[in-house]
Amino acid sequence: MTDFLIKIEQMGFCQWIRESDSVFAYSGVLLLHTIGMGFVVGINACIDLRILGFAPALRLSALEKFSSVLWLGFWVNTVTGVILLAIHATSKLANPDFYIKMVFIALAIVNLQMIKKQVFRDPLVDKAPLSAKVKLLAVTSLFFWLGAIISGRLLAYVGPK
Amino acid sequence: MNAVQVHLLVNHFPTVAFSIGLLLFFVAIAAKNDYLKRTSLVIFFLTAALTIATYVSGNEAQTLVRDTPGVSTAAIGQHETAALLAFSFMQATGFFSWLGLWMWRRASRVTNWNLAVVLVLAIVAFALMARAANIGGEIRHSEISAAADETGDGEAAESALRSWGDYVEAHTWVWPTAESLHFVGLCMLFGVVLAVDLRMLGMGKSLSFASLYQLLPLGMLGFTINLITGMMFFVATPQQYTGFLFFLKMMLVILGAINVLYFMLVDEPWTVGEGDDAPARTKLVAASAIVIWIAVAFCGHMLPFLGNSF
Repeated sequence: MTDFLIKIEQMGFCQWIRESDSVFAYSGVLLLHTIGMGFVVGINACIDLRILGFAPALRLSALEKFSSVLWLGFWVNTVTGVILLAIHATSKLANPDFYIKMVFIALAIVNLQMIKKQVFRDPLVDKAPLSAKVKLLAVTSLFFWLGAIISGRLLAYVGPK
Repeated sequence: MNAVQVHLLVNHFPTVAFSIGLLLFFVAIAAKNDYLKRTSLVIFFLTAALTIATYVSGNEAQTLVRDTPGVSTAAIGQHETAALLAFSFMQATGFFSWLGLWMWRRASRVTNWNLAVVLVLAIVAFALMARAANIGGEIRHSEISAAADETGDGEAAESALRSWGDYVEAHTWVWPTAESLHFVGLCMLFGVVLAVDLRMLGMGKSLSFASLYQLLPLGMLGFTINLITGMMFFVATPQQYTGFLFFLKMMLVILGAINVLYFMLVDEPWTVGEGDDAPARTKLVAASAIVIWIAVAFCGHMLPFLGNSF
C-alpha cells in the first residue's frame, strides 16, 4: 500500500504540483480549494441561517436555485482535494485529522440532502412555520461545516509531515 | 514613491475626512436632517475603510525610517500603539455607521440608538486619532514634541504591540485558530456576495433584491471577523505584510466597501422585483463585487507564495 502511495506521490504531475513555483501549481490548487470552500459553505450557511430565521423575507424555496453554485464549489474542491491528497498521499493518509475532516464533510453532505428533502421538497415551505426538526438540521449543518473548516485548516499543522 | 511617502500622503485622510464627517453629523443632529445624518454615516464608513490602508502603510514606512538620524524610535512605538487604538474605534464607528445605513434603507428611518452609538464612537475615535496623529508628527518634527527625549515610554509602548507577537509565538494554537476564523468569515462573506450578486446577474430570479438585502449583515459580520483576525496576524508579525500584493489586497477591500454602498444608497437595484431582470449598470456592479472579493482572496492566499509572508 505504502509503495503504491509513494508511486502516486512520485508521478511527474504530482512532483510538478508540489515543487513548481507556478501559480497554477500548489499555490493555485490550494487557492481554488479555498474559493471552492467559500462557495460550498457560504451558500450552505445562507440556507441554514435562513432556516433559523435570519433574513425572513427571503423565500426559502427560491434559495435552492443557488445550490448549483454550491455543487460547483463542491466538485472543484473534490478535484483540488484529490490533487492535494495525491501530492502528500503517505503523510495525509497517516493523519487522523484527514479522516476527521472527511467524516465532517460526509455528514455535512448527508445533512444537506436531508434539508433538500425536508425543506425544498416541501410544497408548504414558504407558507407554514418551519418545524423544530428542520431547524435542528440547520444547526447540525453549520456545525459540520465548521468542523470541516477547522479540521481542514489543522491539516497544515498536525500529524506526520 | 516609497512607503514613507505613501503613509505621509494617506495619513491626513482619516483625520481630515473624519472631522468633516463629525462636523456634519453634529449639524445633522442639531438640524434633525435625515439626509445629512446619512451622509455623515457614509463618510464614517468610507473613512473607516480607507483607514485600513493608512494603518497598514505605517508599518512599511517605519521599516524605512527607523534608522534615520533625527527619527525618534520612541515616538514610532508610541505612535503605533496610539494608532492601533484609534484604528479600532474608527472601525467600530464604521461598522455601526454601516449598520445604521442598512437599517435606514430597510425601514426608511435612522434609529436613535444607532445614532447615539455612532456619535459616542466617532467622538472617541476622533480624539484617539488626533492623539495618534500628534504623536506621529513627533517622529520627525521634534520641534513640536514634548516627548521626544523620553525614550523609555516609547519602548514600553512598542512592546505592548510586540508582546502580542510574542504571545502568538509562544502559544501555537493562536495562529491556526485565527486562520480558521478567517476562513469562517470568508465563507460568510462569499455566501452573501454570491447570493446577492448572482441574483442580479440572473440566477434565482424569483427572489427580489429587497429580500436578498436582508442577507447583507451576514456578509458584513464575515468581513468584520476577517478584519479582526487579519489584524491579529498583522500586529503579531507586521514584517510579513509589506509589498505590492498586500497593498493591492487593501485597495481591493476599499473597492469592496464602495461596491456594497451602491446596493445600499442607489435606487436602481431596488427596482429589481421578483422575476425581474436587473438593469445593466447593476449587473456590472454585481459582477465587479464577485471579481473584487475573489481577488481579495487571491491576494491574501498568495502572500506566502508571491509576497513576503512565510
